[in-house]
Amino acid sequence: MVYCIKVDKILTTDGIPLEVSLRRVERKNKIKAFLLVSPLLVFLLFTYVWPIFNLLTRSVDNRLISELLPNTYISLQDWDGQELPSEEIYEIFYHDLYEAHKKKISGKVSTRLNYSKNGFKSLVNKTRRKLKKFEDENYKDQFIAIHKKWGDLEYWRAMKTALPKFSYDKYLNAVDLEQNFEGQIVQKPEKRRIHKMLWIRTFYVALGVTLSCFFLAYPIAHLLSTLPMRYSNLLMICVLLPFWTSLLVRTSSWMILLQQQGVVNDLLVFARIVDDKSRFELMYNMTGTFVAMTQILLPFMVLPLYSVMKTISPSLMRAGSSLGGTPFVSFRKIYFPLTLPGIGAGSLLVFILAIGYYITPALVGGASGTLISNRIAYHMKETLDWAMASAMGTMLLVSVLILYWLYNKILGIDNIKLG
Amino acid sequence: MKKMLKYALISILFTPFMALAEVNVISWGGAYTESQKLGYGDPYQEMSGVTVNWIDYSGGLSEIRTQVESGTVTWNIVDIFAKDAITGCDEGLLVEFDFDVDFPAAPDGTPASEDFFTDMPSPCAVGNILYSWDYAYNTGVFYGEQPSTIADFFDTAKFPGKRAIYSSAMTNIEIAMVADGVKASAVYTVLENQTGALDRAIDKIEALCTDENGGCVFWSAGAQPPELLVSGEVVMATGWNGRFFNAEINEGSPIKQVWDGQVLDYEYFAMVAGSPNQDEAMAALAYMTSTEGLAGSAKYISYAPWRVSSLDIIEAGEPWYKDGTTNMLPHMPTSPANTENYILMNPDYWADNEVEIGEAWEAFKASL
Repeated sequence: MVYCIKVDKILTTDGIPLEVSLRRVERKNKIKAFLLVSPLLVFLLFTYVWPIFNLLTRSVDNRLISELLPNTYISLQDWDGQELPSEEIYEIFYHDLYEAHKKKISGKVSTRLNYSKNGFKSLVNKTRRKLKKFEDENYKDQFIAIHKKWGDLEYWRAMKTALPKFSYDKYLNAVDLEQNFEGQIVQKPEKRRIHKMLWIRTFYVALGVTLSCFFLAYPIAHLLSTLPMRYSNLLMICVLLPFWTSLLVRTSSWMILLQQQGVVNDLLVFARIVDDKSRFELMYNMTGTFVAMTQILLPFMVLPLYSVMKTISPSLMRAGSSLGGTPFVSFRKIYFPLTLPGIGAGSLLVFILAIGYYITPALVGGASGTLISNRIAYHMKETLDWAMASAMGTMLLVSVLILYWLYNKILGIDNIKLG
Repeated sequence: MKKMLKYALISILFTPFMALAEVNVISWGGAYTESQKLGYGDPYQEMSGVTVNWIDYSGGLSEIRTQVESGTVTWNIVDIFAKDAITGCDEGLLVEFDFDVDFPAAPDGTPASEDFFTDMPSPCAVGNILYSWDYAYNTGVFYGEQPSTIADFFDTAKFPGKRAIYSSAMTNIEIAMVADGVKASAVYTVLENQTGALDRAIDKIEALCTDENGGCVFWSAGAQPPELLVSGEVVMATGWNGRFFNAEINEGSPIKQVWDGQVLDYEYFAMVAGSPNQDEAMAALAYMTSTEGLAGSAKYISYAPWRVSSLDIIEAGEPWYKDGTTNMLPHMPTSPANTENYILMNPDYWADNEVEIGEAWEAFKASL
């Protein structure tokens, strides 16, 4: 027979139930731990998360026109865009532009409008100089007299599309789409389609680099993990040494190796493999990007693999062969599945790094080896269209996060072993 | 003891403010910054006691805009393209000058605004040098006839081999038009008025880059073209004439410049709005753009000084180059022998159309 004994709730010495007391103590510990970490958290939020978030919101922030030409912003809302705006709107626009010119910020207006339709910059600049001489009536005619483009419907329509305070136009632009005046989303003219191809190329290169890193790093990591400590330490130094040199130095040394009259080509010509006239083109194309990126990202694949392989006991392989398995079968069924967490960690690391790579493609990639990150840099530096750069950056970030989520679903984050 | 420690700590905090004034000058690096440093940077430093720091950049307004927008400006004087000076001035990023007040007159009394070659494109820009985008070839590659015109740059049948061109569209469009038969003085008129002119220029460059006897390498730093020529990676390269001169005369490289179809361009100095030590920076700028300052930099690199009076000094002091044996005037972009067929850069065209041309250009590069 089993006897069930009814016991009252366990109480601590001051009469409070144990569970409650336990919960209180645990909560206190959690709060203490959080407070210890909170300075660092605040620091990170302030110096890292907030600036990045700020920059990313620029991609939809389109408030410039509504701030610089406030009255025009309001009056153009009601304009339907079928014919030229009324005399009233021209007058309001004149006053807004004159105000902006007095505050010396009309340059920002012309730059922003130029992103919507090319030609606005010269148009506004020419008009600016004549603003003081305007008479009090017939603004429309005066504007058109300065330049006939003020009578062109397309320009006013472009101005209307530049109005909304928040717009996702840059995201459309980043995938080669645009919104025409009626609101339909259409593809850009063929000669202007660059981005889709760059996105595909970036992912393809990142994938390729990850794969080639994997094939190269696996044997290295295995060797490192099976050699006696003395030799493996030495080899480990060889793997880590590139980290001590700057990235630019490593990329430049690849330039010396890969160029037409460089070391690799010279060796091939010397060994009579290639004719002197038809040297391989190893640089300023995809080959250069691939090779240089693989070498630079290799340690990131070697180290996670090594740390996982170190934990695999050699007796497991011996056990496999004692059970009748060929070396290949033992490898496939025992060794390889055990290294999966390391492969996952290394691949994730290399892939994420490769997607954002900018310096190496810029130096050795030439025109056909540029990636989406070069385009982001182009918009940051040359066109100063930071909204566009931020939109593309956000898309990269989101795609990496999606991949991370997929990886988590398939392999599970808890299975990552980095050390 | 404690009090002493406290005072010591407080005084350490104040030391940075007691340091000598510093002026930051931002320029393009390499042989050019060397020439500026030796030509007027160091002499000014000795003269005034103000430290002049030289920082490299690769063009564009992005850093200036970031600094001005965030309110922490560290750059004082910037060596800037004309189109960027125009844009920057319009956006309020640069300081406007009053030329005759801010800058010294020539030794013979001509006020500054008349001593400069041409009018400034913008009140925020003060003239610095005249330089050229020409091309050079490796003298060891071709036997017999050597390249001599801009059309030869695009002629892959007569002169096979890879070329190096600037990675942005600026100046590539102009030389493509001239090589395609447009008169040098009419390039911008054609570009602005003829429909399809831009596509015509880009097609010409695309033909060069996709030709199996040709091919293009894109350079973005001034030091790259001479280096690409010397390493044998390309047989012809466009570039800045001062860098070619430096490679040829100073370093003895086997390259030779071709002046036909050169794009004559102006380079300016500008001052970033809201920069610290503005008075010291203005004084430094006044010296750097004075007659003797500009003539000084011509000692080290073959860029023509913007002031007419500086040329007189150079002519009187020939041979002017630092090695004491080379005459500088024949190597200047403005000398008569080099300006038989030249395109005068139009910064307004580029300030206005940069964005659209940039899109078409990037699309072309991406399709290579």
